[in-house]
Amino acid sequence: MRIVQVKKVEDCFDGSSVYRYWFDTPWTRDAIMGLKALGDLEYFADFPRPFFRVCGHRGLHVKGVEGEDNCQAIFPKQGKEEIQNEFGDLIRTINETGTAI
Amino acid sequence: MSTIGQDSSDILAASAEPLRTTTSNAPERLRDDPKGRVYLNAAATGWPRAPGVVEAVTEALTEIPTHPGRTVGRVEDVVTECRHRLASLLKVDDPARIVLTMHATHALNLAFAGVDLGQNAHVVTTVTEHNSVLRPINHLQQNRGVRVSVIGLDQTGSLDLDAFDRALADQPALVAINHASNVTGRLNDVASLFAKAKAAGALTLLDASQSIGAVDVHPVTLHADLVAFTGHKGLHGPPGTGALYVTPHLTLRQEFVGGTGVRSDLALHPAEMPTRLEAGTPNVPALAGLAAALRWLEQHGEPFRARQNQLAVHLRHELAKLPGVHLFDPRIAERRIGATSFCVDGWSVDEAGSVLEESFGIVCRTGLHCAPLIHAAIGSAPAGTIRFSVSGFNRDEDLEQGLAAVSQLTACALSK
Repeated sequence: MRIVQVKKVEDCFDGSSVYRYWFDTPWTRDAIMGLKALGDLEYFADFPRPFFRVCGHRGLHVKGVEGEDNCQAIFPKQGKEEIQNEFGDLIRTINETGTAI
Repeated sequence: MSTIGQDSSDILAASAEPLRTTTSNAPERLRDDPKGRVYLNAAATGWPRAPGVVEAVTEALTEIPTHPGRTVGRVEDVVTECRHRLASLLKVDDPARIVLTMHATHALNLAFAGVDLGQNAHVVTTVTEHNSVLRPINHLQQNRGVRVSVIGLDQTGSLDLDAFDRALADQPALVAINHASNVTGRLNDVASLFAKAKAAGALTLLDASQSIGAVDVHPVTLHADLVAFTGHKGLHGPPGTGALYVTPHLTLRQEFVGGTGVRSDLALHPAEMPTRLEAGTPNVPALAGLAAALRWLEQHGEPFRARQNQLAVHLRHELAKLPGVHLFDPRIAERRIGATSFCVDGWSVDEAGSVLEESFGIVCRTGLHCAPLIHAAIGSAPAGTIRFSVSGFNRDEDLEQGLAAVSQLTACALSK
């Protein structure tokens, strides 16, 4: 997947920052499964539009909806840049068919 | 979690009214969301607009523009009609006491800036207030040295009357209270509180943003010297409209002056009401929409209110039954408007809001709802609440879908 736009939404009281990412393709089930590498993935397949959320090992939180071309990511204050880079790197490893490499 | 009055006896003692079908008693809703979403956010903005509003706004924008006081024509009628209908709604004899504003915040600012508080004044308010009240008061505190008492809640979730009485003993110049909380939907007993405040010599300011259209807001009955409200919530008019009622015995200082379209020969802004507090070109298209909403409510207001109340009671009762759902201020029998706040086990408030809207198409509101002080009192700090709020335009199936979505969220949490 290619990141086409990133927009900072807000800074939180605890120093973390909320960003919204837009991609060149919508989230598929396979692409969502590719996020497992970031941490604990929950995928709510039974919801009318399946929802996913990831609790990352270092305080990263990602959430979004299957079929949408965007998601929200919350980066902790500590190590924010590094975690942001890791997230971007992982996104780029999810290939054009939506399958995590 | 520490929540006020949150025990099962409160909930079980309340009587549930069965939800009737919309065909028999509900006002007709002319619009549905093209994306199929369910709107449970009426406390933020009333949707859909009352029948006739869209057409009135469109007509006003389509016609050749005219300006009140400057051009003879329909526009003068629109502004006058709006003022007269609002006066009628508030059961106020003199429409000139109704100042048309851009929104409730504008109206409240006119009030706070216009009242002559004197030196070292004491202002009393409550934890249930919206920032549109709290921030102007904080501004007065910071810039004019006003002393502020903020009344909390007692164990039943009502305003702490002992604390209120103590605050009144300190001779407040102004008591500013909302009619209903935009977080819990609970109505304050304003008539009683303001009667006491008047007896203590204070001016009284009512924020009726949540209650207007939902319950009677009659300044004389409520002992309110000033009443501020918006047109886009319970009145189901357009945003960009609001009003301030000013009691006849009170003259507010002019803080906002300029062109009025009348008495252009005067070097200073006219002193007469309502022009005294109105300057600049009014938002005529929005006022045309508000006038249309008021016409509709005059015809359909009673069943519309009854419907909202019925839906709100049903919603609270059904939410209270769901395992893993916690109502904030759960006393169902208390007098309320259409807002209900809750949280769901296993879901942060913020995340639940995203999921409800994005996955289930339930449009609601989460967080602090611009009312930061109430959350410590009801046990929802620091994250705030999930708020469902209904109007008389909601259908039975809107609530069913909202409740089903919450039920599915709780089921996920329980299955972990």
